[in-house]
Amino acid sequence: MRKVKSLVLAGLLAFAPALLLNGPVQAQENAAVAAPATGNETAAADSAAKAAAPAAAPAAPAEKVAAPPRMKPTPGIGMPMPGEITLQKQFSPTGHTARWLHDVMLLPIITIISIFVLALMLYVMIRFRQSANPTPSKTSHNTVIEVIWTVVPVVILLVIAVPSIGLLADQYKPAPKDALTVKVTGYQWYWGYEYPDNAIPEFVSNLLPRDKAEANGEPYLLAPDNRMVLPVGRPIKLIITGADVIHSFAVPSLWVKMDAVPGRLNEKTFTIEKPGVYYGQCSELCGARHGFMPIAIEALPPAQFDQWVLSQGGKPKGAGAATTAEAGAPAAVPAPNAKL
Amino acid sequence: MTTITADHHGDHAHEHHDADHKPAFFQRWFMSTNHKDIGTLYLIFAIIAGIIGGGISGLMRAELAQPGIQYLQTWAQFSDGPNATMDQAYHLWNVLITAHGLIMVFFMVMPAMIGGFGNWFVPIMIGAPDMAFPRMNNISFWLLIPAFTLLLGSTFVPGGTGNGAGTGWTVYAPLSTSGSAGPAVDMAILSLHIAGASSILGAINFITTILNMRAPGMTLHKMPLFVWSVLVTAFLLLLALPVLAAAITMLLTDRNFGTTFYDAAGGGDPELYQHLFWFFGHPEVYIMILPGFGIVSQIVSTFSRKPVFGYLGMAYAMVAIGVVGFVVWAHHMFVTGMSVNVKMYFTAATMVIAVPTGIKIFSWIATIWGGSISYKTPMVWALGFIFLFTVGGVTGVVLANGGVDDVLHDTYYVVAHFHYVLSLGAVFGLFAGFYYWFPKMSGRMYNEFLGHLHFWVFFVGVNMLFFPMHFLGLSGMPRRYPDYPEAFAYWNKVASHGYEIMAAGMLIFFVNLIWSLVAGKKAEGNPWGEGATTLEWTLSSPPPFHQFETLPVID
Amino acid sequence: MASLPPSPFDRDRRNRRTMIGMAGVGLAMLGMGFASVPLYRIFCERTGFGGTTQRAASDVQVREATGHRMSIRFDSNVAPGMPWQFRPEHPTQTVTIGARSMAIFLAKNMSDKPVTGTASFNVTPLQAGAYFTKIQCFCFTQQTLQPGQEVRMPVIYYVDPKILTDSDNKDTQEITLSYTFYPVEQDKKPS
Repeated sequence: MRKVKSLVLAGLLAFAPALLLNGPVQAQENAAVAAPATGNETAAADSAAKAAAPAAAPAAPAEKVAAPPRMKPTPGIGMPMPGEITLQKQFSPTGHTARWLHDVMLLPIITIISIFVLALMLYVMIRFRQSANPTPSKTSHNTVIEVIWTVVPVVILLVIAVPSIGLLADQYKPAPKDALTVKVTGYQWYWGYEYPDNAIPEFVSNLLPRDKAEANGEPYLLAPDNRMVLPVGRPIKLIITGADVIHSFAVPSLWVKMDAVPGRLNEKTFTIEKPGVYYGQCSELCGARHGFMPIAIEALPPAQFDQWVLSQGGKPKGAGAATTAEAGAPAAVPAPNAKL
Repeated sequence: MTTITADHHGDHAHEHHDADHKPAFFQRWFMSTNHKDIGTLYLIFAIIAGIIGGGISGLMRAELAQPGIQYLQTWAQFSDGPNATMDQAYHLWNVLITAHGLIMVFFMVMPAMIGGFGNWFVPIMIGAPDMAFPRMNNISFWLLIPAFTLLLGSTFVPGGTGNGAGTGWTVYAPLSTSGSAGPAVDMAILSLHIAGASSILGAINFITTILNMRAPGMTLHKMPLFVWSVLVTAFLLLLALPVLAAAITMLLTDRNFGTTFYDAAGGGDPELYQHLFWFFGHPEVYIMILPGFGIVSQIVSTFSRKPVFGYLGMAYAMVAIGVVGFVVWAHHMFVTGMSVNVKMYFTAATMVIAVPTGIKIFSWIATIWGGSISYKTPMVWALGFIFLFTVGGVTGVVLANGGVDDVLHDTYYVVAHFHYVLSLGAVFGLFAGFYYWFPKMSGRMYNEFLGHLHFWVFFVGVNMLFFPMHFLGLSGMPRRYPDYPEAFAYWNKVASHGYEIMAAGMLIFFVNLIWSLVAGKKAEGNPWGEGATTLEWTLSSPPPFHQFETLPVID
Repeated sequence: MASLPPSPFDRDRRNRRTMIGMAGVGLAMLGMGFASVPLYRIFCERTGFGGTTQRAASDVQVREATGHRMSIRFDSNVAPGMPWQFRPEHPTQTVTIGARSMAIFLAKNMSDKPVTGTASFNVTPLQAGAYFTKIQCFCFTQQTLQPGQEVRMPVIYYVDPKILTDSDNKDTQEITLSYTFYPVEQDKKPS
């Protein structure tokens, strides 16, 4: 079984040779971006873009475009931080809205409620201890207070529900027509990415072994060999499915999580605001190596993204127009028989 | 509140010559029809299952204490033989999480709450001589033994990548169907069938007992809240468990007989399994916590020497929680891909549950208000329950928001949430009930100092264990991972130390238990004083083998 | 037994009645569990839940919403172990809402045995399922391909103009239609 899988895997990898990790080349590329990446991640990416784009454009018109150098992750961006106690920094508009809901509404409200209950309890525990209050009262009803503690929570919940429902509507806003569509397929235990609009066939993304991850300066267990490369600022539509069992495609710093269910398609729309590397992990139990199929999105400025598309032998935006067909009138088809 | 005709008062119970005639050992414990003996059996069973389930969580915390795989490979050699591969080690992890979940839910909390305390005290509290169907009661208990054996046995047979069922307690298809070859998952599913049958029989028994066997004058609205909680729980069991039975039966036929209920290849839908599972699964969490609500209500009232505040509100809040619990299931499926209005509905419906839950929490505090509190061990546990359940409850409100759940779903935030309501809620309820009724059940007093010490050590331990999981979840650590990136190391280490403290607390509990059984002071009929008004305190400690042969009359 | 309450017989009868009633409730819920399979399917078909597409007879008359265009994307998957190539002829198509349109999927049997397949399908966004209507589809029946055989399989469909008045779909600009082909077990039978 595993043999078959690795054969398939090898075949798919052959389609994306430029993405294949090979030690020395990789190290060089990393060295190239290492210096700027230590600063602001946008600046790093921009300078990388400036450095790479002019060099690549005249040299290779169609096929032999070099892929942009593999971006170095910035600590604290798109990944968890040691000892962190709250949500990861967000890099998508829905992420900001959702994080606002959590940080400004939910967290303060639940903290206040918990502290209020604790304070009430401490008060009654001290005030009504046996030595302080030897004779208990016999009160067991008070309609007013009972109405209050029913109505007040209802009001609090309404206050939460309004922005919460708004957030949902926001998250579910379908992608506009110019969105970039990327197909995500979950496998046991790796991810497959395909760019149907850019004619880039599926390539797979596997866990980067510990030694390679460390040599690359990437976090082990978050870093895959091949990343999903996406443009910044353009709406992204992921269409997600599972090949074998249910997986879940999740990138916390973009507020993205969607199950990959076999036999059915899901979609998820988001926009990335800044260039960077955003890590995620499979989030639905999918068997033995559930914890070992990481996700990484490398967000590039549009020009560099087009360069990457070319380097994969794909067609950048606009060139893909040929893939869209005007719907033919069905009368033109021969027999309404499935087999032609 | 209640007065019992004088000649059946507990202090005189031993004067009945027949009342304390006990059958011989084998007949008494293996063919028992006595609700108190069956309750004891359930409690012993739950303690054993709890040790196993808790031990498994110890293994998990040991492995998670630091990044990397430290022990799994060694352990895999026990379950998969000396040549265990790394994948088998990872599979063992999934077996551990599955076993921990199933054991704690079906073989620890449920048997202890409903089988143990329910059996012991529901008949006594309503003034009945026994359960309505004593022999069925015995069957309910003994079904648990083969169920538990099957589950434990499944660990040693093939279940896909390695030995044992590694599907998670949710047993999602298609991981549990095409994704797990071998008999382990079949055995686990069969185990759930049997445990489910046991619980359904128990539920029918409790409903019949509570509806028909109440002593004269014990109207529904005079029943102690613990009885109310068991009644609501029994209805939840009766309505939810058959759906689980149907769902997992179809899993079995999908696995073995070529049906395609959950297989898209044959026109089925894996999502249907999740809908069915959570239609059971969400009421199930209330099944685990409601009896705890009942226990805490009794204890808070007893040790504040005050009647329960807002009795009717408390009773109907439980009914409301039970009813609403059936229409919120898909909040467990927010990221499976559901259309926006479905998600909005489940978000709104889920938040509604916070209202009756809030009523209960404030009513408990109001019960204490104006009372005269004596800080006996059960009261301390009950107070701990109220606060920790509040903390678990408010994180539930966060998770209820479908839009926020998009990032928290299947992370440690969820693990933290449900351990706060179950491990710190239900388990605190169990300990509160155990200390409360221990004198009644055993006839001996527990050690008050050790009881308090147990509370404080356990309290510190579990908070240190579970609170950091909120942080891990917020920063994105997914559930069910044997290994994690370096960044999650800090809070995982803290959590694992928390486990050590909690385990020390459990040691104190067992020392207390053994010491009290052997050398504890003899307990009076009512060791808690005037606050304890329910019928069990009118009997001797332990109660006579048969109580209420003439029914008590309640004013 | 003498010390039992005055009417043990009555109580036992009542208990039995309650037990039978409750057992009935339990059995009914068990039945509900199994009945949920067809009920769920009907529910999905009626409401488009989970992106389930609708189906119409070939003589259906729909008024075109002239000027309202929508992009339709086609997605294809083949289950592991299914030796087919299967892809849409064009990844996307722009259609007029309400107009009958056709898309072609290409399938090829890469093995040296006849293979029968059946396709599961849905559309995204999920709330568009209620409006995506197929008149003719290869997914309605099983398809058998001989070794090496390549076929063009049409789907004839339209987008119900009612989608324009549905507030849940007011931002929907592109509908993705997805298929997954699975092998059918009866392969072994002589064809």
